[in-house]
Amino acid sequence: MAAGLFRSGATGRQLAYAIVAPLLVLAILGLLWQWVALTIGSILPPLGKVGGEFIERPGFYVFHLGVTLYAGLIGFAIGALSGVLLAGCIVWFPFLGPALVPVALMLNATPIVAIAPALIVAFGFNAIPHIIVATIAAFFPMLINAITGLRSVDRGALEVFDAMSASRGEVFLRLRLPSSLPYLFSGAKVAVTAAMIGAIVSEFTGTTEGLGAVIVIATSFLNLTQMWAAIFTSILATLLLIGVINLAERLIVRW
Amino acid sequence: MYAKLTSVPGPVAAMRETEEARGDSPAGLGAAGDRIEIRGVNRIYQGNGREVHALSDINLHIRRGEFVTLFGPSGCGKSTLLRIIAGLDRQSSGEVRLFKQDPLDASRSKNIAWIPQSSSLLPWLTIRRNVELSARLNRRADRLRLTARKPERPMQVLRELGLGEFADKRPAQLSGGMRQRASIARGFVQGAPMMLMDEPFSALDELTRDALQLRLLDLWEKHRKTVIFVTHSAAEAVLLSDRVVVMTSRPGRIHSIIDIDLPRPRPAGIEDSPAFGELVRRVKATLRAGWEGA
Ligand SMILES: Nc1ncnc2c1ncn2[C@@H]1O[C@H](COP(=O)(O)OP(=O)(O)OP(=O)(O)O)[C@@H](O)[C@H]1O
Ligand SMILES: [Mg+2]
Repeated sequence: MAAGLFRSGATGRQLAYAIVAPLLVLAILGLLWQWVALTIGSILPPLGKVGGEFIERPGFYVFHLGVTLYAGLIGFAIGALSGVLLAGCIVWFPFLGPALVPVALMLNATPIVAIAPALIVAFGFNAIPHIIVATIAAFFPMLINAITGLRSVDRGALEVFDAMSASRGEVFLRLRLPSSLPYLFSGAKVAVTAAMIGAIVSEFTGTTEGLGAVIVIATSFLNLTQMWAAIFTSILATLLLIGVINLAERLIVRW
Repeated sequence: MYAKLTSVPGPVAAMRETEEARGDSPAGLGAAGDRIEIRGVNRIYQGNGREVHALSDINLHIRRGEFVTLFGPSGCGKSTLLRIIAGLDRQSSGEVRLFKQDPLDASRSKNIAWIPQSSSLLPWLTIRRNVELSARLNRRADRLRLTARKPERPMQVLRELGLGEFADKRPAQLSGGMRQRASIARGFVQGAPMMLMDEPFSALDELTRDALQLRLLDLWEKHRKTVIFVTHSAAEAVLLSDRVVVMTSRPGRIHSIIDIDLPRPRPAGIEDSPAFGELVRRVKATLRAGWEGA
């Protein structure tokens, strides 16, 4: 059908644009990068050298990425889950909101770079301090998104539930929770990014493993190539995680 | 859930009597237990120091199986009255009885089907699951047989409303008019003796609206629920209802009640008949008289 063809053509064009446009921007950024690297030198390494570093020592980056992912993902899981649970409590018991949200805000405003050393003093040289930092980082965006989501119910639908005297549990499980899913997924994407950054930043001190440690050590040797190779590894890993969450969202939020 | 409750002195008894006579149906013989009774209802909202008298001394009786329309200008308290009847809001004073039950008891026994202004379907459920919602909520009412509802078969109601093939689609895949039909189907599937509709067609274009009015009439003829219907449209009120309750605002009160003595079921093309046009004119004139009297 002509209309159908036209429509699939239009979406095809949109899809092509969605792929080509960011690639074009990336290419321009890459060119700019190369220009800076080759003319000024000591600011950025040439991209070819960074690529060569990956090809030469893939195991090195995979190992340190694994260490960072371990802390980042456990922190994300704990932080996101507790954010959703606390949001649920705050929406269920409205009097908890004014009591807890300011405390959560305070936690969010804490400079995590500064508390990482304190956590190492407290918990020792193991994964726990890094997990804690990632947890704190993931918690807040999830909390805020979940509260917004659980409160964003359609008024008419709520009236339909109330007119039948649906219980609070039914309103929560059959109306609030499903309504909040799109918000939970947005929150998860922000939270996973924050958890990864939190894990890396916490690895700046007290450890020789993980991408954060690689960055710090490479910096102390003025090894720009290694430093940027570690940064690119973390960027790619985080993008991949967001991609996984996007996929889950597509499978679950189908409306 | 309720806004702050306030008490105001009861209505003047003498007035109540005349209002009651007017509020009653022409036949007016139904036993007190077999009708909806609204007596001396006031609703005062208090917001930042100011009081809004949303409803003032409302008296109205509605027989079982009657189709009554609340008609009046914006802000005259139609939604407020409907929400009070549904147990979603509470009157400041006065009494509401729904076939002897308090609105809250009627709500707890799932005897009220609420059809909101926007279709308000749950976007994550298929149309069929949406329409079956009443089976999943407040099961206690069904288990303990508190309810007077007689649930209808979802697929049958969907087919009656021309939605049979769309049962497995989600709301986002339907047009606005189809979603509104699904919302009405949800109400009929609940099978409650009372159906309360707050401007269910107001967001639709005229053609869709005309078609839906006829569908609603068909369904009502078949199931004969007690319907209280809010609208801004005089023609819609005349076409659908047995009686039109004309309300005026500031404070919201009942100006008068107009009997619609058109044949049931409404014959095709009745909108073009002189009797229909005369009734629409009367309803509009009454509204205007209410304006000028205020
Ligand atoms: N929750 C509330 N708090 C304060 N005032 C309210 C509240 N709800 C309604 N009112 C006031 O009560 C009056 C009646 O409102 P209501 O919504 O019942 O009118 P309506 O007849 O349904 O109007 P419309 O045709 O625009 O829907 C209005 O003046 C409104 O401002
Ligand atoms: Mg209204």
